Amino acid sequence: MLLSLRKDGSLAGRNRLRLVTFGFVLFFTTISAQLGYLTLWQGRPDKPAAEYSERVPRPDIVDRNGVVLATDVSFFSLYADPRKILDVDEAVELLTATVPDLDAKTLRQKLSQPNRAFVYLKREVSPSERDAIHNLGLPGIGFRAETKRVYPMGRLAGHVLGYVDVDSKGIAGIEKFLDDQGALYTASLAEDNSRAMPAVLSIDIRVQHALADELAKGIAKFHAKAGGAIVLNIRSGEVLGLVSLPDFNPNQENKNFTFDQANRMTSGVFELGSVIKAVSFAMALDYGTADLTSHFDARAPLVIGRAVIHDFQPTRRILSLPEVFTNSSNIGTARMVLEVDPERHQAFLRRVGLMDRLVTELPENAKPILPKRWGRLVQATIAFGHGFAVQPLQGAQVVAGLINGGIMLPVTFLKRDAADAKPMGKRVIKAETSEKLRYLFRLNGLEGSARKANANAPGYRIGGKTGTAEKVVNGRYDKRKNLTVFTGAFPMEDPQYVVMVMMDEPQATPETFGFSTSGWNAVPTGGNIVARIAPLLGIEPVLTDDERKEIAKQQQKAQKEGRT
Amino acid sequence: MWLRTFNAFLVLAVLCAAYVLYSLEHSIRGVERQIVRTQGAITNEKETISLLNAEWSSLIRPERLQRLAEQHLSLKRISPEQFVKINELAARVPAEPPVKLEEDGKDAIGDILKAME
Repeated sequence: MLLSLRKDGSLAGRNRLRLVTFGFVLFFTTISAQLGYLTLWQGRPDKPAAEYSERVPRPDIVDRNGVVLATDVSFFSLYADPRKILDVDEAVELLTATVPDLDAKTLRQKLSQPNRAFVYLKREVSPSERDAIHNLGLPGIGFRAETKRVYPMGRLAGHVLGYVDVDSKGIAGIEKFLDDQGALYTASLAEDNSRAMPAVLSIDIRVQHALADELAKGIAKFHAKAGGAIVLNIRSGEVLGLVSLPDFNPNQENKNFTFDQANRMTSGVFELGSVIKAVSFAMALDYGTADLTSHFDARAPLVIGRAVIHDFQPTRRILSLPEVFTNSSNIGTARMVLEVDPERHQAFLRRVGLMDRLVTELPENAKPILPKRWGRLVQATIAFGHGFAVQPLQGAQVVAGLINGGIMLPVTFLKRDAADAKPMGKRVIKAETSEKLRYLFRLNGLEGSARKANANAPGYRIGGKTGTAEKVVNGRYDKRKNLTVFTGAFPMEDPQYVVMVMMDEPQATPETFGFSTSGWNAVPTGGNIVARIAPLLGIEPVLTDDERKEIAKQQQKAQKEGRT
Repeated sequence: MWLRTFNAFLVLAVLCAAYVLYSLEHSIRGVERQIVRTQGAITNEKETISLLNAEWSSLIRPERLQRLAEQHLSLKRISPEQFVKINELAARVPAEPPVKLEEDGKDAIGDILKAME
């Protein structure tokens, strides 16, 4: 009925109209339906395109407790496009009025160059200055957002953190690690494009400060030229603190640092008598060529070929193995080590990694200096660390491995769980040998050359080994110049931390009765360090009655002198 | 006749639809602008947060705290005999307090704080 046909099959006029109307209605309904659908039901894309940022920003570096050690700070730089400046005089006047420390003459000169498109006027402008200049409405003057790396802790942990160059590319320390091998590490930190998670170091900044403070005091007291100290967590291999003095401030603009400011603990190698002697004893005990009841003849200096091995403080008697350790007898140590085959001796040193360069996250590391030929004399002198130079950090790593039950963990500057560290361990000595070595360390701390550490840090059961080496000057050993090292651990019945202190050319003082060996300078400094960091690290002191009496005596003395 | 009303109705419908849809579009654009503004504000706040973190870190650097503590506080370094196990506590608590905190109306801690100002 809607459409009626004429007799010849064509549509009547009215029907044509109806058909056309129908067509239009259909057309418009489709379009409005489509429009309605698109605007009301079509979901919007989740993130507008403005989220994209050109690069992942450099991650912050924080210490193990989350304290910020290195971060990017944004600032604005004032620049000018001299081509666009209409009136140079007006610009100079207004700018110098708002920003007083701009020099009018140089400003005028900069703005008057017609061909330059870009010239910096002031590198760092405060937000208030920026608003004031912006409100001047000068054409050709603009701001550029830039970032700068700042190190809020100043000099503290400077060697570990490193620094960046002008383009924010790391060129030393952990900063360099983040750019080099750490590229994958950094990528793993980025959760979304806007801000990367911080790189968490193993360093505890409070321990680092105690280390730096006490070391500086020790260096000043003994008039040493330089020094360094390390604190290692034995269970996880983490470096809690690493100091090398003299140091530097990574914030300073001019980064032309001197050779003296380098990180002695990794990029220098030294004859660490304290470490190597501990290794020699560990080796002899582990191989079974000696045990705690062995005896060695230290009555006379040991002659090998044309060389003579002396003891610094000759005992002139036969010593038991523990006595050789606590008296630090070179003769006794040499005799003990000569009972081991040279190949086995070398194999042991290789096993504890002392023949290879220690590689950690810090890019600055040095290769050990090893003797070229391994004759009998060399074997004997190596026993007490003569002619064998390694990185101090490497020495600390080895000692940690020797006293923790015999499993050496690779040291790291990144935060790491003890549980994660376990599979990385390498067994270097038997557990029984480690126990014997702990006994020797503790004995040395009670009766031997490491006594003064316990005197300064009563109750923390410190044990350790000392080493005093003559420095090599112009290719020969100089009797008057020493390098003293103390490698200690506490609490010795179940060691948690290794503390290593090194001093370069410490002098004798009236209090040291003319002596400048390790037991007189590195050891008491190590004790002071332990006294300060043990409460921070949660190590409970256990005082003997004698220690309590001694403390009470000291306090009474201090009270009498009016120092309370 | 009905065609004219139908026509008028259609025109009205188009105008209504257009009004509704375009006003929706307008308000959406407004919301989008606001999103961009808010995100800009978020970025600014994040920048401020990181700046404040850096400043906080600088203010709590151990060297500064040590200096201030030595200057203004008469606290001493903790000594090992001050650590006492809970089960030994009863034996170690002294009968008399070493410092009389409240003595004839004197306020020792308040005095220290006043002296610092």
